[in-house]
Amino acid sequence: MSDTPCQRSLYQPFDCEIITVTDLTSAEKLFRVRRMDGLPLGHLPGQFVQVSLLGWGEAPISVASSPTREGAFELGVRNAGSLTSAMHLMQAGDTFGVRGPFGRSFDLQRLHGQDLLLISGGCGLAPLRSLIQYCEDRPDEFDQITVLYGAKSPGDRLFKDELAAWEASARFACSLTVDSVPGGDCFSGSVGLITALIPPLTIVPENTVAVVIGPPAMYRAVIAELKKKELGPERIVVSLERQMRCGVGKCGHCTIEHLYCCQDGPVFWLDEIEHLRGAL
Amino acid sequence: MIKLTSDQLDQFITSLAEMWEVRLPILLSDGTRIIGSLKDGPLALLGGAILSKPTAAFFPQHGTVFIATEDGVPESTDSLQPIFILGFTPRDLACLRFIDRFFADGFCDDLYFHQRKSAVVAGISGYCGPYGSLLAPAGGDCDLEFFWEGSSWLVIPYSSAGKALVAEFTDSAPPEAENRYRQAVMTPPDENERFLRRASELLRGNSVPDSFWVEIGDRCIACTGCNLACPTCTCFGVQDWRSAKRVERSRMWDSCQLDGFMREASGHNPLGSEAERSRRRIHHKLAADPEKWGEISCFLCGRCDAVCPTGIGIIAVARELVTRFG
Amino acid sequence: MKRTLTVCPYCGVGCTFYLVSDKGRLVGVEPSATHPVSRGGLCVKGWNAYAFVHHPDRLTTPLVRRDGLLCPASWDEALNLVIEKLQAIQAKHGRDAVMFASSAKATNEENFLLMKLARAVFGTNNIDHCARLCHSSTVTGLAETFGSGAMTNSISCLDQTEVILVIGSNTTEQHPLIGSRILNAVRNGVRLIVADNRRIRLARHAELHLRHKNGSDVALLNGIMHVIISEGLTDRDFIAARTENYDALAKSVAEWTPERSADATGLKADEIIATARLFAGAERAMIVYSMGITQHSHGVDNVRCIASLAMLTGNVGRTGTGVNPLRGQNNVQGGCDMGALPDLYSGYQKVSDQKIRDKFARAWGVDELPESPGLPLTRAMDAASAGHLQGMFIMGENPMLSDPDQGHARKVLENLELLVVQDIFLTETAALADIVLPAACYAEKEGTFTNTERRVQRLHKAVAPPGTARADWEIICDLAERAGYPGMRYNNTAEIMNEAAALTPIYGGITDDRLDQHGLQWPCPDSSHPGTPILHLDHFTRGRGRFSPVTHRLPAELPDEQYPFVLTTGRTYFHWHTGSMTRRTHLLHREEPRSFIELHPDDAARIGVRDRDKLLVISRRGQVHTEARVTAMVIPGVVFMPFHFAEGAANALTNNILDPESSIPEFKVCAVSVEKLL
Repeated sequence: MSDTPCQRSLYQPFDCEIITVTDLTSAEKLFRVRRMDGLPLGHLPGQFVQVSLLGWGEAPISVASSPTREGAFELGVRNAGSLTSAMHLMQAGDTFGVRGPFGRSFDLQRLHGQDLLLISGGCGLAPLRSLIQYCEDRPDEFDQITVLYGAKSPGDRLFKDELAAWEASARFACSLTVDSVPGGDCFSGSVGLITALIPPLTIVPENTVAVVIGPPAMYRAVIAELKKKELGPERIVVSLERQMRCGVGKCGHCTIEHLYCCQDGPVFWLDEIEHLRGAL
Repeated sequence: MIKLTSDQLDQFITSLAEMWEVRLPILLSDGTRIIGSLKDGPLALLGGAILSKPTAAFFPQHGTVFIATEDGVPESTDSLQPIFILGFTPRDLACLRFIDRFFADGFCDDLYFHQRKSAVVAGISGYCGPYGSLLAPAGGDCDLEFFWEGSSWLVIPYSSAGKALVAEFTDSAPPEAENRYRQAVMTPPDENERFLRRASELLRGNSVPDSFWVEIGDRCIACTGCNLACPTCTCFGVQDWRSAKRVERSRMWDSCQLDGFMREASGHNPLGSEAERSRRRIHHKLAADPEKWGEISCFLCGRCDAVCPTGIGIIAVARELVTRFG
Repeated sequence: MKRTLTVCPYCGVGCTFYLVSDKGRLVGVEPSATHPVSRGGLCVKGWNAYAFVHHPDRLTTPLVRRDGLLCPASWDEALNLVIEKLQAIQAKHGRDAVMFASSAKATNEENFLLMKLARAVFGTNNIDHCARLCHSSTVTGLAETFGSGAMTNSISCLDQTEVILVIGSNTTEQHPLIGSRILNAVRNGVRLIVADNRRIRLARHAELHLRHKNGSDVALLNGIMHVIISEGLTDRDFIAARTENYDALAKSVAEWTPERSADATGLKADEIIATARLFAGAERAMIVYSMGITQHSHGVDNVRCIASLAMLTGNVGRTGTGVNPLRGQNNVQGGCDMGALPDLYSGYQKVSDQKIRDKFARAWGVDELPESPGLPLTRAMDAASAGHLQGMFIMGENPMLSDPDQGHARKVLENLELLVVQDIFLTETAALADIVLPAACYAEKEGTFTNTERRVQRLHKAVAPPGTARADWEIICDLAERAGYPGMRYNNTAEIMNEAAALTPIYGGITDDRLDQHGLQWPCPDSSHPGTPILHLDHFTRGRGRFSPVTHRLPAELPDEQYPFVLTTGRTYFHWHTGSMTRRTHLLHREEPRSFIELHPDDAARIGVRDRDKLLVISRRGQVHTEARVTAMVIPGVVFMPFHFAEGAANALTNNILDPESSIPEFKVCAVSVEKLL
């Protein structure tokens, strides 16, 4: 065997520096990050990176910002395991490694000119935000844009300021809900499951694409509601979360039958995966 | 086609040691055959496939990804001597071809190709299977092939590297030996191959009920041997070891038969039951890989059946599946 | 690339494999294709047995406590200090004020040497090891009934039997390559009875699964024997020709009607009758058992019943039969064989026997050896808190996690005048030590292990130990030298085995050069003896097998209103004991990363607990935080916890109540309450 095209090591991260860290909730933080070499990350909305912390390993994190926002990128990180809790201790000026961007992005061409129905639950707003920001920055590329977001409780909402801005923006129709309000909290918004936000919508199926990102339990319920609105699986986009270890289709931890979530996804058209076992 | 006596082959192998790190089938003291070096024990070319997978030469059970020292500069890896490796049966070569393609596809896995790209791979075939049975020649998939025709070796170089290695020899094989080789090429597929193809059809046709996988899962003790022994299993885990002045990131063979393989931090697990994992092990080889790569990724090397303590290697499962579901 | 044939360091099955190393670093494991036990396979721990060896946490230098902190020290300083302090304690408080804890993880040679160090150099019989915690009931119970406290048959017998009764053993998880053999046997028509109230994997393949109450084994076995006798299913010829005291047994079990047995066990009378008929109806039947039988305050009684059941049905001394206690540790059989026991020298030769003492004294060049039996490990903690014990030398054990009643153990270990720990990692126990000695692990030394079927096998050095760490046997020899004892100079481990063999009749024919293929099974009395796959062939080791009738006693602590659950403890498939090796093995740790407790769905619903909820578990000894695993694996009213996890340690809860004869703790039954943490 000869002349196999391997350039730099696939598994060697490049260094990034934290510009700012912001609390999103008690368990989630937003890291604003730039490459130390000054290059842009070069991602598209929907892609993810492998964050590398020496001594802790790597974890896949979706990019929460749009490439239209230059100079830095943002990662929303939930404190869920040993790496992410180590990351939560980091501050502005600290550095860590990144590989990527990896994976398939939202298909901006197929989304072009469509009504967009952007639905997310819980941490699913982080990856979806890259698309919402893109829509904000390129408003002419799309028709009506509706944002639906559900969180467990008011305190669990990510990006509270931006949610308020989107609610106020004329460009977006924005509906928010929470599953429940803990006793003692003062909350005036709507309470209920995210599925309840869909029936009241007027949807033009032949000119609409829905994007759904959320915890595993959310997909089936939301998709069922969308199908009631005559939206076909070729008009529904999902982004799936798996335990990618490598991000480049080798380690095998993110397979969905014959697909590799890290390469063939994480963004899928529903008709590509809804028949596959274990996908949703 | 070159003919070599066993003595000539020994001399040829000895002559390689200067240029190459030579690895070949060796018999160890307890009767286990391995792919090792001549200093490990006597040469043991006859006897068929080696229990441990020969592809480990390029994708070892445990390998360093990188070492980062205190100042963040990765330690450089040392220079390597190219490997000459003999001992791949034709089925092993098919496995190697498959994972060569896998590791090169899309992002190219430089850790795998680090040794692989400079290696010379020699196949072994002929009447050297278990109890003198025939291993039908690969006819390719390697740099050169050694065919045991019963009393001597026929050497068939395929690649330029293989041809260069044996350039000093003249085509000396007598016609009858070449005939034996040609006959061997025509060997029809064996029974297991038919079972495997049929099992693949059944799986792709969704004709296998979930209850079957519950039964197989009940019999699995999660030793992970099937995956670790399989030459086309490529899954790996990654770990970091931190000491005072350095962090070593390494990767090791992983197994889809472990609950933790796909378990997410939230506890959600797409492969969260024994039945799902047992299905995945077989389905991936017989249905998912054909979908993605256009071929079944089990080449019937027999290793998972050999190492499985409870008799549910892929051949055993395929046979049971076909017997029960058509 | 180098390959080194060695023996797995985990369980007592004794699989062998090749360690693969490259430039002095281990890079993997390859199975032995020919080994009679593992037959080309391994379990998940074996496949990953290379992975902890180079872990950065390995101890690389001796440590000595200064101003409260463990600081690096030279070997000279550390070893001199050990000797100085041990001798000072003995001078002040008497010879028996020090105790040596040997290790079922160490080699035969090392166990032999540590007991020699204790007896010949320090003049005390205070030597024991963790067999006390696992199979001391077996050693006592089978010695009394059969004359030999070891597995009577070979693992290969599982292929040649008709019925297998597995009682108190989660075999596929704890002895995987034996468990898988049982699974295969069942596929080939062998009929399986599982008596264990957890729904273990074997139970899914069993014809009868008896989920009897924890601690009701005597009631169950007496009930089975009652049915066998009353239905005339006994092997009369065997009883007449080979055994004694049958009448006493028959009289004792006469009252154990199936109904009474059912009442005491929580089973149905029909289940007991069916078990008796199936077991006694077989031409060849095997009993396989483990900690579920032994770890009770009546552990020896349980073993007596098992021995009786086997003799009653003539299932001893033939292929495919026997009483088969599965030994837990890789070398717990060898630790016992080598006399790391307070009352026995190697080969189960009694310390109380003057002739035996004289033999060892002569061989070791000492005037006399101590006469009175030493302390069992499990009584050491009490002896220390009473002030009788001031110094402990612990080789390769971690009582902080493995002993019952952790709070008590900690207090005692902290208050010792001297605690020396020799280990490969800074375990929870080593962290309390005054002096820590870094040892080589299994992959870094030579020696032999003896597996559960009494097979003595060689391990080989694959890589060098880290830093200045040394093999246990080298450290022990150095200590002896520094104590002024000249009789412990060996060039290699083979010389140690030669000495042990010369003094130990059952090992008489064992020399390293004979072990190279697949080892030898003891008894192997001389150099031409082929080893003994099956014990008690024509007669029992003690002559006639003795029926020892027993009365049913309840566990020491039963649930009540305040502590309504029975806690039973054990291990998981993926971890080994206190986790010092497996929790440093990536794949194994990933599989079971944290402490958990199994709770039946009905119980969980009743106390409002969901899977993965954080729980507080409380007993009279202590309390721990753990995570709920809601599963029908356990029966209602019973909870199960593994003891691997320092941060949620089951042994903070367990009861240090001991079997009066074997001093084994009742790990398998205590009472706890379970609360949800908010």
